[in-house]
Amino acid sequence: MTRARRAVAGLALAMLAAGCGSSAARPAGTPPAGPVPLSLATALTSAGTAWATVPMGAPSGPNQFWQLFMLTGPGGRWSLRTPPGVATNGALVLAAQRGPTLVAGIRPSLDLGFSPVTETLDGGGTWSSLPPEPGFADVPDALAAAAGGQLIALGADQAVQAAVSQQAAWTTLITGKALAATAAGRRCALAGLTAVAHTPAGSPLLAGTCVRAGTAGVFTRRGGTWQLAGPALPAALSGRPVQVIRLSRVGGRDVALLQAGTGASAVLLAAWTGDGRNWALSPAFELSGSRAVSASFGADGAVAVVLSGGRGVTADGPGAAWRLLPPLPAGQAVVLALPADGPADLLAAAGSTMAVWQLAGRPARWVRIQTIKVPIQYGSSSGS
Amino acid sequence: MPGMNNGLDPDDPTVVAAFRAALLHQGIIALLIFAVLSVAWVSVRAQPDGSRAGGPDRPGHPLARVRAGLWAYGEPAGRQVLRIGFGLLWLLDAALLAQPGMAAGLPSQVIGPSAVSSPAWVQHVAGWAGSTWSYQPVEVSSAAVWIQAGIGLWLLAAPRGTSSRLAGLAGLTWGLIVWAFGQSFGGIFAPGLSWLSGAPGAAVLYAVAGGLLALPDRSWRTPRLGRALLGGLGAFLIGMAVLQAWPGRGFWQGISAGQPGTLAGLVQSLGGTPQPQALSALLSGFGSLVRAHGFAVNLVVVIVLAVTGLAFLAARRRVTGPALVAFLVLCLLAWVLTEDLGFLGGLGTDPGSMIPMALLAAGGYLALTRGPVTLAPAEEAPAEEVPADAVPAPAAAGLRDRWRERLRPAALHRSLTAATFGAMASLGAIGVILLGAVPMAAAQAAPAASVILAQAMDGGANPMDAPAPGFTLTDQHGRQVSLAGLHGQVVLLTFLDPVCVTDCPLIAQEFRAAGQLLGADSRRVELVAVNINPLYSQLAYIRAFDHAEGVDAVPNWHFLTSDPARLRQVYRAYGVASQTLPAGAMLGHSDIAFVVDQRGHLVQELNVDPGPGTPVTKSSFAAELADAARQILRSA
Repeated sequence: MTRARRAVAGLALAMLAAGCGSSAARPAGTPPAGPVPLSLATALTSAGTAWATVPMGAPSGPNQFWQLFMLTGPGGRWSLRTPPGVATNGALVLAAQRGPTLVAGIRPSLDLGFSPVTETLDGGGTWSSLPPEPGFADVPDALAAAAGGQLIALGADQAVQAAVSQQAAWTTLITGKALAATAAGRRCALAGLTAVAHTPAGSPLLAGTCVRAGTAGVFTRRGGTWQLAGPALPAALSGRPVQVIRLSRVGGRDVALLQAGTGASAVLLAAWTGDGRNWALSPAFELSGSRAVSASFGADGAVAVVLSGGRGVTADGPGAAWRLLPPLPAGQAVVLALPADGPADLLAAAGSTMAVWQLAGRPARWVRIQTIKVPIQYGSSSGS
Repeated sequence: MPGMNNGLDPDDPTVVAAFRAALLHQGIIALLIFAVLSVAWVSVRAQPDGSRAGGPDRPGHPLARVRAGLWAYGEPAGRQVLRIGFGLLWLLDAALLAQPGMAAGLPSQVIGPSAVSSPAWVQHVAGWAGSTWSYQPVEVSSAAVWIQAGIGLWLLAAPRGTSSRLAGLAGLTWGLIVWAFGQSFGGIFAPGLSWLSGAPGAAVLYAVAGGLLALPDRSWRTPRLGRALLGGLGAFLIGMAVLQAWPGRGFWQGISAGQPGTLAGLVQSLGGTPQPQALSALLSGFGSLVRAHGFAVNLVVVIVLAVTGLAFLAARRRVTGPALVAFLVLCLLAWVLTEDLGFLGGLGTDPGSMIPMALLAAGGYLALTRGPVTLAPAEEAPAEEVPADAVPAPAAAGLRDRWRERLRPAALHRSLTAATFGAMASLGAIGVILLGAVPMAAAQAAPAASVILAQAMDGGANPMDAPAPGFTLTDQHGRQVSLAGLHGQVVLLTFLDPVCVTDCPLIAQEFRAAGQLLGADSRRVELVAVNINPLYSQLAYIRAFDHAEGVDAVPNWHFLTSDPARLRQVYRAYGVASQTLPAGAMLGHSDIAFVVDQRGHLVQELNVDPGPGTPVTKSSFAAELADAARQILRSA
């Protein structure tokens, strides 16, 4: 074979190798278990007024708009109360105060790089803006308000921001990294923050995920130092990793929703405290392979959780057992609401229609009681 | 590859009109180049000279020289096939590049898709090329037309000598550029590589041909070049046959798991190209054949490729002839049935890889089997025509002296007198290449995208002539700013929503970029935005927006706000409408900018709806704003 022929044969082999080698194998392996991906769709009830926020429109992207609904008094009807003048594509985070007073934060989305914050004092009739937050975290309890007007927020960068009054600018209270470096953080081996709230005394209450098994990552500040303040779990759960997936202040007490363990053996627990120290625990609810999709709180500390597979459970208050609800109606996004003095409502959104369902009859079944057509402005956040 | 997306339809009328106008203007210049050269050449030759008197059949007559230059040279047949064949192909490709949709559509419809399944580094290369084209679509596309037309003309006009070899070199260089940047290396690094789908890409074959034409004349005097060319082609075809036969690549199955096999899928995908009914029916029939008899069709392809490849590799005259015929037939079938002629649909840039590959095979065969034509002394064309008195200076003189001698008017005159028609045509072709290359280099060096993109999306500026309504508002630093206080400066004024999720952040970035484009002139320009959202009027929102968009450090940026009542007065004065929309939608408002001159007069209104907000469109809008400000500054 001449030199020229060897060269062309080599070229052909190289091209052959390039063509054959182009279907390279992908690296194998499964991702490690991460935080519980709880939806930001939620409902909360405060002093007779129930609020719910649900994604509507498209399932995702610039045509998904988060809506705010309000229900006043027993026997009332849900109505649309989404804050005006700002796009809600990034989701709403809510902090209820007294009755018709609500603070809503809008998560960054598309080309908006920070979080507008707005407040209504009259049940969503009028809104006034509060100082913007650098960017709320993607968790339902990223914003909390205390009775004195203090606000606390969890940022996407794991920084906890505080505003001493609702018109004041945000200042950094602590970062997740700094909290993890404290004695309490090291005891928990804090992996990340998941929720913020206030104690009855108005002190910040932070929740997160501990790597150390059997430790519920709830932190409060006493005497200038951060301390672990979460509930002690039953001995049977002491070997399991615990995630605080919700923490909110409702009806004069703080309520936490915990998931202990992972996978098919994971359980849910609700925990209630009136002083930020002593907790009452619900029995464990076996998830049996399903997962929590969204969770809501009632005025008296009741907890409702929508589970994957179209199931739902509620726990009525401190120490109460879990009650399995009849199979839930389907919807693009589903959230359970617990209005004061009434049965659980189920809000199921599909496109621009919101259906409200209620349990009725014996045996109890879901009955549609209201349909709301929401004037979604498709394309308004899509540029041009 | 966002840089490729200019957000425009390929048939956008503004861009198409600008493209046509550019081609027309440059076409006139090309004609002028040839006209000037022709006049100069004919004039020089028309001067009284006894040796040139007489009819065209006499030696020395211009027309006789035309004939001599074009036809009477004993150029080897293989070289002639490549030169003329690829010359015509380059001209055809230039005509295809002149199609209306090329300027706006080529990056997103051709360059981008060609790289989709290639590795990241190939996508990066293609992305760079696509961005360059997208930023200056009219300039680059028209430049490419003239470069390719020039190469084609040069190849056709220069049958011999250094000029012909340089034309080959130009073809080699531009072919490699097109192959790497426009065709993503012909997809050779992507999965699914197949000869039937055009591997290794048409442009690299143009480059190979250019390289062969650039070889010294002596390379063509023996069969060695033909043997090497056919050998290379043979090895390539054998490799392609192996790939075609490789199990698991889907070529053996007409239908696999209910889906068309690889070849059937390829044929089916061609059906989406706009094309004549007869061709569509032919493809449909072939698709049905492949689906029903995928194995047999692939077997035929593999056998022909392998046998042809072996025959070419052997380079024996006895077998290469029949193999060439079989290969040409296969190329023709593949050109029609698996490449769909390559140039249909309005965005085809070349007739595919089969025609150039067939030309290379034919050229190689002729180079192997037919030596150069030896002409009788009587009809032999003159060797490289250099007048005796233009012979280079003695060896003692330096290179500089020789060139100085050649460039003297008298020497130029003698050269022009002695030049053949082919030499003059080559000179014109080089002029045409420069007609494309110079604007392409200028486009590459441009600091921003062409304004044509912004104008295509939002229309041109509306001239105005009215005093700008005054206002006094608060800037992001808490200082009072009035329009009257900005007199003496050019003001670019717009209205932005600080909590907007789409257009307003883009417009702010475009204003910032406009300031950068203005350079030193930006000291005489103020970039002013008025808050259009009275629901979010606090300074904290203005500052948060500025920080998020990176305009907080821009010295001449003023984002103004005030209480809602005062803001609404400004909206009314400027006729800017805003609307609160329900259900979580952001505030609706018009995207508009005003240009206020140094006297405080409104002189232009610009629609600044940023469209898709790609880097290309943002750059184009910034250029439009900067141009508007510069225009006022220059007129002052």
